[in-house]
Amino acid sequence: MTPSESVMKISHLYKSFGNNHVLIDFNFELYKGENVVVLGKSGSGKSVLIKCIIGLLKPDEGTIDVFDQCINDMDDTELDKIRAKVGFLFQSNALYDSMTVRENLEFPLRRHWIEVSQEEVNNMVMEALEDVGLAHTIDMMPIELSGGMRKRIALARTLILKPDIILYDEPTTGLDSITGSEIISLMIEIKKKYNTSSLIISHDMNCVRRASDRVVVLYDGTCYAAGTYAELQHHTDPKVKQFFEQEFKQ
Amino acid sequence: MSNQTRFQAFLSEAGELSRFAARFFAQCFRPRYEVSEFIRQCYIIGYQSLPLVGLTGFIMGLVLTLQLRPSMVDYGVESQLPAIVGIAIVREIGPVITALIFAGKIGSSIGAELGSMKVTEQIDAMEVSGTNPFKYLVVTRVMAAVCMLPILSVLSDAISLYGAYLGVNVRGATSFHLFWVEVIDSLAFNDVLPAFIKTFFFGFAVGIIGCFKGYNSKKGTEGVGHSANSAVVLSSVVIFILDLLAVQITDLLGFN
Amino acid sequence: MAKQTFNNVRLGAFVLAGLTFIIVLLYLIGKNQHLFGSSFVLKVQLDNVQGLKSGNNVRYAGIDVGTVKKINILNDTTMQVEMVIDELVKPVIRKNAIVSIRTDGLVGNKVVEISSSKTPASPVEDGDVLSARKSIDTDEMLRTLSKTNNDLAIITEGLKTTIGKINNSTALWNLLNEEGIPNHLKKSAYNIHQATDKANRMIADLQSIVLGVKNGKGSLGAIVTDTALGQNLNAAVLKIKEVGDQADRLSQQISSAVKGIQKDIDQGPGTVNALLKDSAMANKLNRSLENIQKGTDGFNQNMEALKHNFFFRGYFRKLEKEKKKQAEQNQ
Repeated sequence: MTPSESVMKISHLYKSFGNNHVLIDFNFELYKGENVVVLGKSGSGKSVLIKCIIGLLKPDEGTIDVFDQCINDMDDTELDKIRAKVGFLFQSNALYDSMTVRENLEFPLRRHWIEVSQEEVNNMVMEALEDVGLAHTIDMMPIELSGGMRKRIALARTLILKPDIILYDEPTTGLDSITGSEIISLMIEIKKKYNTSSLIISHDMNCVRRASDRVVVLYDGTCYAAGTYAELQHHTDPKVKQFFEQEFKQ
Repeated sequence: MSNQTRFQAFLSEAGELSRFAARFFAQCFRPRYEVSEFIRQCYIIGYQSLPLVGLTGFIMGLVLTLQLRPSMVDYGVESQLPAIVGIAIVREIGPVITALIFAGKIGSSIGAELGSMKVTEQIDAMEVSGTNPFKYLVVTRVMAAVCMLPILSVLSDAISLYGAYLGVNVRGATSFHLFWVEVIDSLAFNDVLPAFIKTFFFGFAVGIIGCFKGYNSKKGTEGVGHSANSAVVLSSVVIFILDLLAVQITDLLGFN
Repeated sequence: MAKQTFNNVRLGAFVLAGLTFIIVLLYLIGKNQHLFGSSFVLKVQLDNVQGLKSGNNVRYAGIDVGTVKKINILNDTTMQVEMVIDELVKPVIRKNAIVSIRTDGLVGNKVVEISSSKTPASPVEDGDVLSARKSIDTDEMLRTLSKTNNDLAIITEGLKTTIGKINNSTALWNLLNEEGIPNHLKKSAYNIHQATDKANRMIADLQSIVLGVKNGKGSLGAIVTDTALGQNLNAAVLKIKEVGDQADRLSQQISSAVKGIQKDIDQGPGTVNALLKDSAMANKLNRSLENIQKGTDGFNQNMEALKHNFFFRGYFRKLEKEKKKQAEQNQ
């Protein structure tokens, strides 16, 4: 895969909560059609990074450009336009408990001011559900579904807007390894089908190995190492090594 | 925790609540307006609270009448029973009991709902889905509480009065028409309007406190439970404080 | 979506029910205070409104026809009460209707009562000022009542002591029993009679003098022939005559009164007789006398018993001995 066009660029990003400096001078670039995994320990600031990108958190310093637009000083309306093109899969799925699967999927469609007829909406919902293989759950409530199914519904909700970038926040956490594998397969499939760029946050080495075109190691708030899975696997730095050693132990 | 830090925590919470309320007003009058969600919340907050509020109102009216009766008979003013009960219900019992029940039902449910939405990132998900969660969740709920509590309180007054009518008729006989005429005769605008107006503030207090507690819920199940609980406690206390303020203000304005 | 509509229907019903109730309530209260419907204003000026407030009811012949709108102070003794009255009773209330402030029941609210007066008058118009009647304030009434009660208590007390005194006073009874009093009265009546005789004679003398003057004897006559003076004198004489007549009548009345009293005492339908001849009283007196008699009898018996008593026997013997001694000495 040859990286072509840059869809997202992060430069000199700083973010701190009180005295806890989470991100220190983080630089990163995402190209069209590539899957990048950000690897890091819990609490190393991966989730903060991803929330900065989507505009849920405001960075202290530095710029984030998505589709060559700086999102730092955007107001809600402009931000919403960017968000319509960026999917976000939450760690805890964040399905709306009070709504059925159909309503969950319709929600972003309707909220983003997309002018579509009810019929089109139904078609899009069905298509997204078929993509994740859960068309039969359309009238169920999220509480009735298993963890893996919920993750897939959440993914369907992310997909329904046909985003150009998908941000995955620890997609395999809380799932057994088989279900996790299924989700990873789904992610790869989607990438192929829609040619999306993905930023995946994970510390699951199985996920890193299978899904990544490129890996970025986030350590001490900065981009510590970068490269393909194979390159990093043989990295000599102990801080990088520990992630890969961990997998071999399993 | 020392007294000073506790006091500081109290002040900082009061400050945060005020900012939250200010944010509510800022968002309230700016588009876009979440009308359908507002109506849905009205249905949940208003209509679905009616049975509970009606039941408590009915019992309060009945019990109040039966409790007052012996004293009234002692003073030989039994015939004034409808007037006294009517004034008590319309001025105080109706609004306050309704608001307290409302705080118990709605305050806790808003606190728990928003708390768990916060904890499970649903609020973030909404924001990502092109929705201002503050408008969608907070403004609609607070507005629904503000609009529904007065209506609930008025209906509760009506049901209470019916309970009082039955109470009067437990011993003795008064026609409904006479009861009604006596109640209306004893009431004036300055009985009804201040009581009606203060229920808007009660509704606002319950809504804003429930949302505040839920929206700022700490992570975890315990955080959600704490939000729900403190929302009820705080809003009940605030209702009494507002009631005190309301009576002072009406007194000052000479409407008492 | 069908569910959504159903929800909306129920929500709508709920909201409408609440709003309808509050609106009906407010309307009925407003109707009670005569805020709706056409009305007109009547005024009345009073020196004291007795705690009347705006919003109090106005009644005409016992029917609520309006409310007090405003109370103005015109000056230090005049309050003007403005009333809003239902247009419907306008033709019924007359210009000479009388307004008073009353209390609804003993402890109720103040009400303004408009009552019609007997004489005919034209119907009132908007802004008319009606005349007021000073009404009885409950407070004042109660105050008076309590004062009356106190007075009554004092009077009763006085009456009681007086009756006691009368009962105890022998002098009065003596007086009433006295035979001489009627005679005295007769004598005084006789005296009065003589006095009037004398007065008559005096008048006769005066008449002759006046006659002389009239005929113009001497310089005095010349002065008094002036007719005005003469008339004055005549009037004076007439008055003197009248005095004499009155004295006559008085003496007659006194003599008849005395006769009446005498008759009363003798025959008995009057009050004095009742007092004197009340058989119940006599019985009571009799009984008390009997009691006293009994008491003394008892005392005698006691004494007798004492005499025979062991302790006192010696003493009584000694007493007897001494008596005997005395008797012997006396002999």
